[in-house]
Amino acid sequence: MIRFDGAAKRHPDGTVAVEGLDLDVPAGRITVLVGPSGCGKTTLLRMVNRMVEPTGGRVLLDGTDVAELDAAKLRRGIGYVIQQAGLFPHRKVIDNIATVPYLLGWDKKKARARAAELLDLVGLAPETAKRYPFQLSGGQQQRVGVARALAADPPVLLMDEPFSAVDPVVRAGLQEELLRLQSELNKTVLFVTHDIEEAVRLGDQVVVLREHGRIAQQADPHTLLTSPADEDVAGFLGRDRGLRGLGLRPATGIAIRPLADGTEHGGWELALDPAGRPVEWRHPAHPARPAIGFHPGTDTLRTALDAAVLSPAGAAVALDARGLATGTADRADVLAALTEHPVATGG
Amino acid sequence: MADDEPLVRWKWIADHLNYLAQLALDHAVMALVPVLIGLLLAVPLGLLCARHPRLYQPVAVVFNTLYALPAVAIFMLLVPYTGLGEAGTVMIPLTFYALALLLPTTVEGLRATPEAVRQAATAMGYGHWRRLVAVELPSSVPYLMGGLRVAAVSSISMAAVGALVGRGALGYLFIDGFQRTFTTPILAGIVLIAALALLVDVALVLARRLLAPWAVRSQGAAQ
Repeated sequence: MIRFDGAAKRHPDGTVAVEGLDLDVPAGRITVLVGPSGCGKTTLLRMVNRMVEPTGGRVLLDGTDVAELDAAKLRRGIGYVIQQAGLFPHRKVIDNIATVPYLLGWDKKKARARAAELLDLVGLAPETAKRYPFQLSGGQQQRVGVARALAADPPVLLMDEPFSAVDPVVRAGLQEELLRLQSELNKTVLFVTHDIEEAVRLGDQVVVLREHGRIAQQADPHTLLTSPADEDVAGFLGRDRGLRGLGLRPATGIAIRPLADGTEHGGWELALDPAGRPVEWRHPAHPARPAIGFHPGTDTLRTALDAAVLSPAGAAVALDARGLATGTADRADVLAALTEHPVATGG
Repeated sequence: MADDEPLVRWKWIADHLNYLAQLALDHAVMALVPVLIGLLLAVPLGLLCARHPRLYQPVAVVFNTLYALPAVAIFMLLVPYTGLGEAGTVMIPLTFYALALLLPTTVEGLRATPEAVRQAATAMGYGHWRRLVAVELPSSVPYLMGGLRVAAVSSISMAAVGALVGRGALGYLFIDGFQRTFTTPILAGIVLIAALALLVDVALVLARRLLAPWAVRSQGAAQ
């Protein structure tokens, strides 16, 4: 666990980056620091690996003040990923990933074997190993950056806007990948971003910061979206936060009407292919429209609601893991699920 | 020049092939060994200047001033100490000229490492010196090779001036030709010096590709 204990940073010219922050970053979870530029989030992140030395207070790593540890040794035990990947241009991908193992004195063969494992873990093809960073796309470079940070299996991972420089589609892929990795690795992750959407998506705990590193709100994403602490936080969260909050809730609570009870909704008939996959909605008086489905076990309420809204019959098609239709849920069914699990208020 | 003297007398060239080859070899050694020594001095000095930036300006001023002094003057000044017609008389100043060109290139190359790369290296647990040698120095190789090309070619050109203190290798052909109003050796000297410069330049371009294959497309493309 990382603990900020009154951690403060005052620059020599008198300006204050962080006034004094108390925060616990729980082990094995993702904590996201989010806030506008100038809120001191990167400064706080860098206090953990001593790239910034606090001018007041302490940062504790598993109970030890990091100031008491040798900086280089401390850093070799902490993974670090930054916005522009910062890969070494003169080293092949495999040797970039093996950087920390080399520094720790592993022999070359063992370090490279470990690097190859990580290449696979972050979803890159084995032939990527022999490329140079300039031959990779931005998204691939970020994956290598993550692999490099994980190479020596550090318990703590610091991520400073790691996905900000890639386009939205690639970013979404990288975020998903991080969540998948985290479900396997359970690292203590401290993640910095200015993108609240990203914070809500990735964080087990989200810490919204104001200027000078003051905490505006510290909460799980669901509480944050449904019960912002004040107008400022609500404004920072942006529009549609209620709807976006549905994206954090599972669709498991929706009552599914079995196919056996009929596949007709308001004159629209659900057509299935011989295997049982939904094909389209048909109506005697209108052209056919595609049938959109959701997976009750794995999708969110937002996806289910979206599927129901897009359906001409007003019904989303429930699918099993193989993509076969198991039943339908109309808009009223989905809305009923929203209120069956009333959102927490206050906070 | 006599009216019937042709611009190039091919027979003279054919008769002096061995002599010309000897001069060219001497020229290459006299011009390039100083560049090599200059490089060996520029790298540690450059690392020191990159590590302690305050050192850089005074050091750069000293070498820039040295570079401004005319080669002929320095050759002449050295003669009493190193001797007339001695290779050292020519090679010592050439070493300083090479160093004056290579030191700023080294420092600029080290500084050109993208900030993200520097930060990443620090965060991985490199100390200052280790980072300079293992990350910033190799990533400055394309800059260094660029500097080497300039230094090598200008050294080849300047070595010819050594003829004035009795050790100019190919440069001797100019004095010889001028004194005898005989253009053939002058032209042979020009062609051989140009060829030598071209050969070295091509070799350095190839060496850059070999040493920094990652920089073929663009310098520091990985940011």
